[in-house]
Amino acid sequence: MIEPLVSLRGVSKVISSRTLVEDLTLDVPAGQVFGFLGPNGAGKTTTIRMMVGLMSITKGDILIGGHSIKTSYEQASSLVGAIVENPEMYKFMSGYKNLIHYARMMPGITPQRIEEVVGLVGLSDRIQDKVKTYSLGMRQRLGVAQALLHRPKLLILDEPTNGLDPQGIRELRDYLRKLSREEGTTVFVSSHLLSEMELMCDTVGIIQQGRLVDVRQLRSPEGERAFEETAFAVDDTAAASKVLASYPLRIQEGLILVGGDRERIAEINTTLVQNGVRVYGIRPVTTSLEDQFLQMTGSERHD
Amino acid sequence: MTDFLKLVANENMKIYSRSRTWVMLAILVLCNAGMPLLFYIAGGDMDRWTVFSWTESFTFMLTTIFTVVIAAEMIAGEFTWGTIKLLLIRPWSRGKILLSKYLAVLLFSIVGTVITALTAFIFSSMLFESPASGMEGFMGGTAPRGALLNLLTDYVELFVIALIAFMISTVFRSGSLAIGLSLFILFVKNLFGLIFNPERFEWAKYVLFLHTDLSVYIHSPTGPGGVSLWFSVTVLAVYCLIFAAITWTVFAKRDVAA
Repeated sequence: MIEPLVSLRGVSKVISSRTLVEDLTLDVPAGQVFGFLGPNGAGKTTTIRMMVGLMSITKGDILIGGHSIKTSYEQASSLVGAIVENPEMYKFMSGYKNLIHYARMMPGITPQRIEEVVGLVGLSDRIQDKVKTYSLGMRQRLGVAQALLHRPKLLILDEPTNGLDPQGIRELRDYLRKLSREEGTTVFVSSHLLSEMELMCDTVGIIQQGRLVDVRQLRSPEGERAFEETAFAVDDTAAASKVLASYPLRIQEGLILVGGDRERIAEINTTLVQNGVRVYGIRPVTTSLEDQFLQMTGSERHD
Repeated sequence: MTDFLKLVANENMKIYSRSRTWVMLAILVLCNAGMPLLFYIAGGDMDRWTVFSWTESFTFMLTTIFTVVIAAEMIAGEFTWGTIKLLLIRPWSRGKILLSKYLAVLLFSIVGTVITALTAFIFSSMLFESPASGMEGFMGGTAPRGALLNLLTDYVELFVIALIAFMISTVFRSGSLAIGLSLFILFVKNLFGLIFNPERFEWAKYVLFLHTDLSVYIHSPTGPGGVSLWFSVTVLAVYCLIFAAITWTVFAKRDVAA
């Protein structure tokens, strides 16, 4: 069992008797790209603001790398790089001065490191220009640069794809995956763009009305996409469901649908065969994250 | 410690990267050069220390106003620009960030004061003779001493007004409110002294506005309502500590949303 890098323990946020986040408990293992999904106003941004110390925590605690945000904020936040909503920069200064500004606030950042990060986000040509001349995409990239300066163990991004063009989104996605693969950076990203999250994340947590409704793995540790459900085509669905009473399953269009990993599927198959149910076919069914999300949050579908 | 000085360097960089800061400093130089020049053209029969004190007593108002403008933007600006979020997620406690900002304001006030005093002194000295030795300066005491005491009491007033601007900037996150309110206090504080005369109201001697101008003690040993210099200094110190405590508490506890 890997130690979780981020651990939210019974976190609640109450502002003037309104509960924005309620009893949120969540562990994010190191090295993952974790997606934090939810409709607007579900409490995503509030949770992220508590994680980076911009908001106080009403109840519970958040640990980052074992340090409590409440009691040892300076240690905890030195592990974190973040963009909270739009990356706002000092427009009257050059991009380079902006980076110098943040570099001074953290120990051990050399001018070489700044150059390196600037190259990484592809701003080398424009870094000496004032930020007010930058396009939104360039500001976003400068935002990523300031978040990465100190090689954070945890990168927190709040709605990072807001206002980016498709190419920018693609670049960001590739970049995040590269970071998590090559440098082992844990990425905690919030969004309401489901298709993006599906492509970007290993695991997603779904939050609704301040409560965590579900956490599910989208990819196996080997990087393979985890299939959400497996369909068994059998001769007698009623008999099969009786045999499989101990598994959570549902019957749809004459197929038995079960969740679970490969071992579980093999196990179910054995159980079916041993109990005389004839299995005609086994195939994975991938429902898109969007379908599941809408199912779970109970929103109306707009076809 | 050197790490903390880097925070102050950051705040300085933000102040001096803006063209308006340089415009304000240029205006200070112009006014402090222009006033002695005007006296010279008008052809008054004055010595250099009198000219210096007259110039300084007018132009220091500008120094105060410009420091208020800087102090008012210090916290409110970060909120308006949205940069407060990226500033507060660094591994620094809020108290230290606030202190670095306040120190940058004080540094600016010192830069402004030095520019005011130096320019006024250089131009007064170039255009006017020094007073006959042994002659009393118009501020009482020897002439240079009177002029410097005047400068010092003006700086005390600047210090208090700038702290008020810094506090309002933090509490209300509005730069214009901070500028407006603190300048209002600067200009009407003498009115308070008239309305709530400490000769008539016993409590009025604890009102801050009666004590911000310590220059009364240059001429007389007693201040408003017959209090002493140390009484005034204590009142100022207590108010400043209260303002600092309010600023720190609000800044350290505030939830940064939207």
